[in-house]
Amino acid sequence: MIRRLAPAALLFGLACHTADRIGPPAGGGSVTLAATVPITPNYGVHDTFIRNGIAIVCVWNSGVLIYDVGNGMKGGSPTNPVLVGSMIPSEDSVSAGPEIHNAWWFWNPTNGEKKYLFLGQEGPGKIGSSSSGDIHVIDVSDLTHPTEVGSFHLPDAGTHNFWMDEAHQVLYAAYYNGGTVSINVSGTLLGDTLADRLINQVVPDTAGTYTWGVQLYNGSLYAIDMLTGLWQLSADSAGHLAVAAGGHNVPARYSSDFSVDTTAGYIYSGTWDHLQRTGLSGSVVYVWHISGSGSPSKVDSILAPAVGAVSDVKVSPDGKLLMFTTETGTGSGFYFYSLSNPASPTLLEYYQTGKEGIHTCKWATINGRLYAFGAKNPSNPELIILDVTALDN
Amino acid sequence: MVMVRAATGGERLVLQATGDFEGLTIKNGELTPGAWGEGFADRRHPHTYLHEFMLLAPDLLRDLAVPAHVSLGVGKGFVPFGTDDPMSRPTERFPVNHHLSQILERAVAMAGVTVGPARLEGAVFNGDEPQRPDQWPNLSRFGDSWSLRLTVEPVTGLEWEGSRALVRSPETRDAVGLDATKWSTALRWDRPLLGRPVYAMLEWAQSREGDAFTLATVLFETQVSAGRHHPYFRLERTDRPEDERTLDPYRDVRPIIENSVLGVTRWTIGTLGYAVDAGRTWRVSWKPFVEGSLIGIQSVGSGLFNPAVFYGTDRHWSVTTGIRLSWGMEDHRMGRYGRSEMTMPMDHQ
Repeated sequence: MIRRLAPAALLFGLACHTADRIGPPAGGGSVTLAATVPITPNYGVHDTFIRNGIAIVCVWNSGVLIYDVGNGMKGGSPTNPVLVGSMIPSEDSVSAGPEIHNAWWFWNPTNGEKKYLFLGQEGPGKIGSSSSGDIHVIDVSDLTHPTEVGSFHLPDAGTHNFWMDEAHQVLYAAYYNGGTVSINVSGTLLGDTLADRLINQVVPDTAGTYTWGVQLYNGSLYAIDMLTGLWQLSADSAGHLAVAAGGHNVPARYSSDFSVDTTAGYIYSGTWDHLQRTGLSGSVVYVWHISGSGSPSKVDSILAPAVGAVSDVKVSPDGKLLMFTTETGTGSGFYFYSLSNPASPTLLEYYQTGKEGIHTCKWATINGRLYAFGAKNPSNPELIILDVTALDN
Repeated sequence: MVMVRAATGGERLVLQATGDFEGLTIKNGELTPGAWGEGFADRRHPHTYLHEFMLLAPDLLRDLAVPAHVSLGVGKGFVPFGTDDPMSRPTERFPVNHHLSQILERAVAMAGVTVGPARLEGAVFNGDEPQRPDQWPNLSRFGDSWSLRLTVEPVTGLEWEGSRALVRSPETRDAVGLDATKWSTALRWDRPLLGRPVYAMLEWAQSREGDAFTLATVLFETQVSAGRHHPYFRLERTDRPEDERTLDPYRDVRPIIENSVLGVTRWTIGTLGYAVDAGRTWRVSWKPFVEGSLIGIQSVGSGLFNPAVFYGTDRHWSVTTGIRLSWGMEDHRMGRYGRSEMTMPMDHQ
């Protein structure tokens, strides 16, 4: 017989984790729905990259959809997104299609080019041990006709979230069981291989690594690893990486996304656990203080009950707000916290979206207003755009 | 479950239909550690209400003096792949390998040719599995998947089958998931030995999910009957994918949101059971049974799923008891639509 099931795990989890502050669902009416964009369930929408009023929506096997959400080139706005262009990248040799998860539109400050869009392909794997999927390079010189011009393949690993040091033309990519990779993306990218462009690959713990995301801040590249927690890597302007501090600091649950508050020097990281690591229910957002040397230390935590995962974490551009999204459970949706005290965020508003939840979220400032973009999971996947300007005052 | 079989004169055309009401009686599934599929975990999922509705021409060449039999079939039902459906086999507990060894509830068009002891069947069908009891096959995907099965019966009661199938994205209705490349082979015995009815089956099957992972199974089961007494035994070792669960630990996230799994577990289950023919009231036959299983679970390779953490232990046991009631049942081997198999009485039903 199965001895221990969800109710027991739930009670055990609540009993043993009173140290996590519980973020109760609450609605304040300060968040308003600007628009929803239905997405063909193919499977749906995974992530979004917004820049200069252009939203690049990663829609799995339907590739990418490029919307004007305030740029003006097609008369779009956050309340009336207008499709500008789309394309479906190649599958390469990965099973089940292009599986486009994430994007970064590279604005090269050295030559003013806005030519390349990097797409992450999230192929199948065993979470925690194996992965697949390449980085696709798309020429978006003409946003209405994006064209694939190359791809980077790392053997035996698949890519996940990106960060860029645009000034030095270095793309950093989390590569799950492949750790963290830095890639030289200067000059013309045309059919190049990763072998031509790879600067460095760091696997912080060879006994087990599954890196979810990276972010550059103040000379360090922070990496969140599902298995081993939050790491500080030293990163020079040429993209050379080395482990500096951190690791093995989130033992109770598997980690998910994170975000750095670059104005105050704090990091917020989530967990993606689905009752797996120790059977604890709910998911947690941890608050980390960054020391003078850049090493992170945990100072607080927020429990999101009744969800399987904290799927994404993002600090607003001005550092005033923390947004995290959750999925799989009745507590799914958007959570907005004030960072007036960055060491101890306070809940401002919870925006419920249905038990399927939100897979990823992004901030965007468009025409003086602050918006939250969210990728709603199937069934009925859609891009959700929330006007959260009222929270930011 | 209600089975209906209707035939034109001489059985030139046969309608084989099965209504299944598990969607009403066990809408949350039946507790079965190791069972999986269609969004359920550790609970056998309810089948669709219209489980089977096949229009069959069992022997198109019957009027010709040729040493061959050709059959055609179209409708919703079993795909010619793998072994008989577990429902028509001795053990009540569904095997973990149900989704590796059978393909069912599809919109299917099939043809079969029997020459001597050999029978070759082929089919095209829709790859998607149903996601709830009232769901129909996605007809827009009809023909995106195929199967072949060769069966050889060198002597009556001894049978070998080998099957191959490509099933497009069975886990997603919109065909965005991994394709399953499937193999199956089995040896089956169903005839008396030393004056006692003996049934035995040894099967191996494998399903390769995209290029990501491979699930395999080996299963042996037997029943040796003595009069009204029917002791039986099954031993299986089957790999199971571990998907993200919802807050209900018996349910997986559906629709899937990506093509990765939390890991693969290997279930080793030994089941010993006993059933007895308790008699017949009017036309209802009663067969009480009791069976017990010992279950071991281990991770295959690595991944996030740790059975010892999730279940609290990696060793389990289960006991199942009940009564099989049959009324007016013209038994057939579920999942087979050949000329002889449709009318074959199944003593071990």
